[in-house]
Amino acid sequence: MAHEEFSIYQSYQEFLQSDPDMSMPVAAVQSLVEFIRQSQASTMSEFVVMVRDAAQVLKSSARNSVSLAAGCDLFMQAVTRMADANVEECRQNLINRGTKFVEKAASCRESIAELGEPFIRDDSTILVHSYSRVVMTLLLRAAAHNRRFRVYVTEARPINSGYRTAAQLRQAGIPCTVVLDCAVGYIMEEVDFVLVGAEGVVENGGLINQIGSYQISIVAKAARKPFYAVAESYKFVRLFPLNQFDLPTHTAQILSFDSPQSVASPSPSLSDTNSMELDGAALDLAKTNPEVDYTPPSFITLLFTDLGVLTPSGVSDELIKLYY
Amino acid sequence: MVKDVNFLVEDLVAKLKRRQITGSYTIALETAKLLRQIISVTRWSTAGALIDRIKQEGCRLVAAQPKDVVVANIVRRVLHIIREVYTENRDAVDEDDGTILAAAPVAPQALLQPQQPSFSIHSSMFPLLGDHADLPADYTRPVHNLKSEIIQEIQEYIEELENMYSNVSSQAMDHIHSNEVIMTCGYSKTVESFLKFAAKKRKFKVIVAECAPTFQGHQTALALTAAGIDTTVIPDASVFAMMARVNKVILGTSAILANGGLIALSGTQTMVEAAKHHSIPVIVCAGLFKLSPVFPFDEESLSTEVSPDSVLDFTKGHFISEVEVINPFSSYVDPSFIDLFITNLGGHPPSYLYRLLNENYDAEDTYLLKS
Repeated sequence: MAHEEFSIYQSYQEFLQSDPDMSMPVAAVQSLVEFIRQSQASTMSEFVVMVRDAAQVLKSSARNSVSLAAGCDLFMQAVTRMADANVEECRQNLINRGTKFVEKAASCRESIAELGEPFIRDDSTILVHSYSRVVMTLLLRAAAHNRRFRVYVTEARPINSGYRTAAQLRQAGIPCTVVLDCAVGYIMEEVDFVLVGAEGVVENGGLINQIGSYQISIVAKAARKPFYAVAESYKFVRLFPLNQFDLPTHTAQILSFDSPQSVASPSPSLSDTNSMELDGAALDLAKTNPEVDYTPPSFITLLFTDLGVLTPSGVSDELIKLYY
Repeated sequence: MVKDVNFLVEDLVAKLKRRQITGSYTIALETAKLLRQIISVTRWSTAGALIDRIKQEGCRLVAAQPKDVVVANIVRRVLHIIREVYTENRDAVDEDDGTILAAAPVAPQALLQPQQPSFSIHSSMFPLLGDHADLPADYTRPVHNLKSEIIQEIQEYIEELENMYSNVSSQAMDHIHSNEVIMTCGYSKTVESFLKFAAKKRKFKVIVAECAPTFQGHQTALALTAAGIDTTVIPDASVFAMMARVNKVILGTSAILANGGLIALSGTQTMVEAAKHHSIPVIVCAGLFKLSPVFPFDEESLSTEVSPDSVLDFTKGHFISEVEVINPFSSYVDPSFIDLFITNLGGHPPSYLYRLLNENYDAEDTYLLKS
C-alpha cells in the first residue's frame, strides 16, 4: 500500500525546505493533505484513525512541536466536522479545503501587515525579537509605504536569528542595530514598542515564542512600553500553560541540575578564552536549554492577527469558536 | 429632493465646524437623525448604493470635526444596521415570486445539525473550516421593503440613544453603596445622572475636582447638591491627597477607543494615576455610541488644546510675549488605569470591548475617510 511507504515527517520537512516562506502549521496541513491523497481507507472510521495517527506521528517527530501541533489540530478539527460524510466525499473535500488553505496562508500575512501598519508611526523606534516572517512582512510593508522608523533586533542566541532579521531590514533600507539579548533592559528606554512573532498563541491569549520573548515582555512592562505580538490565526493552539514547565516542549533534560561529581568538562575559564572552545560550550548549552518560552497574557498589550487586532482575551473567544 | 439633503448635511457640517453643537450626546443624536433623513428622502435602489451614499455623506460630516469620534461612530453604526437588515431580508424572500425560499427546504436539516460557528472571511482558518456557501454579500440584489425596515431599525437605534442616560444610570445601585465616598472630575451628564439615580435610595459623599480653568467641577457640584448629595469641591492639586479616603472613582469620557483607552478631560489622567497608587477602582460611565473602533496609533494627536486666555488673560499680562501658555482640554488615558466600563448595555472590563466592537460595527467601516 502506498501510504505505508509515505513518511509524513519527511514530506513535512520537504515542504518546509521547498518554500522558505512557509510556516510550520501550513507545512503540517500540506503534508497531511498529501497523506490523505495517498491513503486508501475504505471506511470513515478507518480514515479518521489513520489521519489522527499521522498527525500524532508528525507531532511527536519534531523537537519543537507547538506551532506544528496548531496546524495538525486545525486539520483534525476539519476532519471531525466532516465525519458524517462518506469517505471519498470527505477525502476530496479535505484535499480541496487543505489546498485552498495553503494557498491563502501566504496572503494572510499581508492582511495582518495591513492591520498592523498604522501602529508603526514615523520616527518610532521598535524592538524586534529574533526572526519572524510575519513581523518582517509588517515592517517591510510599513517601509514600502514610506514610514521612517528604526529597529533594534535582539541577537536571539543560540540560533542567532537576529542577524538574519537585521540583514533583511538593512536591505530594505531600514536603519537597524543588533543588540545582545542581555542588553534589552539597557535599550528599553529608547524603544517605543516591542514587536514579536509567535510559534503559538495559547488559549488564555498568552504567547509561545522564541526563547527570550518572556523576559523582553517583563522589561517592556516595567518600562511601560507596549508589547505587541503578531500571529496568524492558524497558530492559535489548544494549550493552557500556567508556567514555563507546562509547555509541551519542556523535558526533564532542560536545565536540570547534574550532580557535581558527574560534571565531565569544567566550564571554560576566562584565561583560556578560545573561540573554538566557546562555540563548543554554546552548542552544549543549546542542547540543555529551552527553545521557546511562554509569555502570560498580562504582559501582552495587543495581538495583531488576521482576525483583527485583538486583546489577549479576544484570542480565547476565537479559540472557543474554533473548538467548542 | 437631493438638494434638500445637501442643505441638511451642509447645515450640520457648519454647526460641527463652528462648534455650535457640542456634547457627544447631542452630536450623536443629530447625526443619527440626519442619516435617517438621508435614507428616507434620497433615491436608491440597492443596499450597495445606499451604503456608498451614507459613506459619502458620512465622510463630509467626519471631515467637519475630525477629532470628534462620535460622528464617525454613528455613521459606522448606521452602515452596520443597513448591512444587517439587508442580509437578513435577502435570504428570507425571493424577489421574483415573493415566496419564502429559505424557510421550507433548509429548516429541518438545519435543526438537526449543530450550529457551526461562522468564521469571518478574513480569517486564515476560513478556507479550511469555513462554510463556503457563506460568501461576502454583494449588496446589489434588490430587496423588498428594505427601506422601511432600515428606517425602522434606525428609529430603534435613535430610541436607544435617547434612553441611554436612564439605561446607564439604572445600574448605579450595583456600584454605589451606602456611606461610600466617590470621586469624580469635571462635568459629565452621564455621571451626573448615574450619581443622582443612586442618591434616590442611598446616602453617599461625592468629592469633585473642579478642573481649572473650565471649572466644570463647579457645575457638577451644583447639580449634585441640588439633588441632595453631600458634595465637596476640591482644587485639582488636592486630588492625590484626597484619594486616600475615596472608595471609588467614577468618571465620564468623551470617547472610548478600541483598546479601552479614553479621550477624556485633562485632569482625568492625574486622577486615575492617583487611584492606581491607592488601588482604588476606576469606573467609566459612557453611552455605547462613544466606543470607537479606532486604536490610539498616535497618542499625542488625540489631545486637544484650547485658547490659553482662561489660563492667563491676554489683557492682564504685559509679559504675555515672554511666556508660553498652554491650555490642554482633553487627552488620552491608558486602558490599564480603568477597571470597569458601564455602558447602556451593562458593565464591561476594558479587555471585553473588542467584543462590543464586533457586535456594533463592521470591520470594513473602521477607516471611513481612507476609502
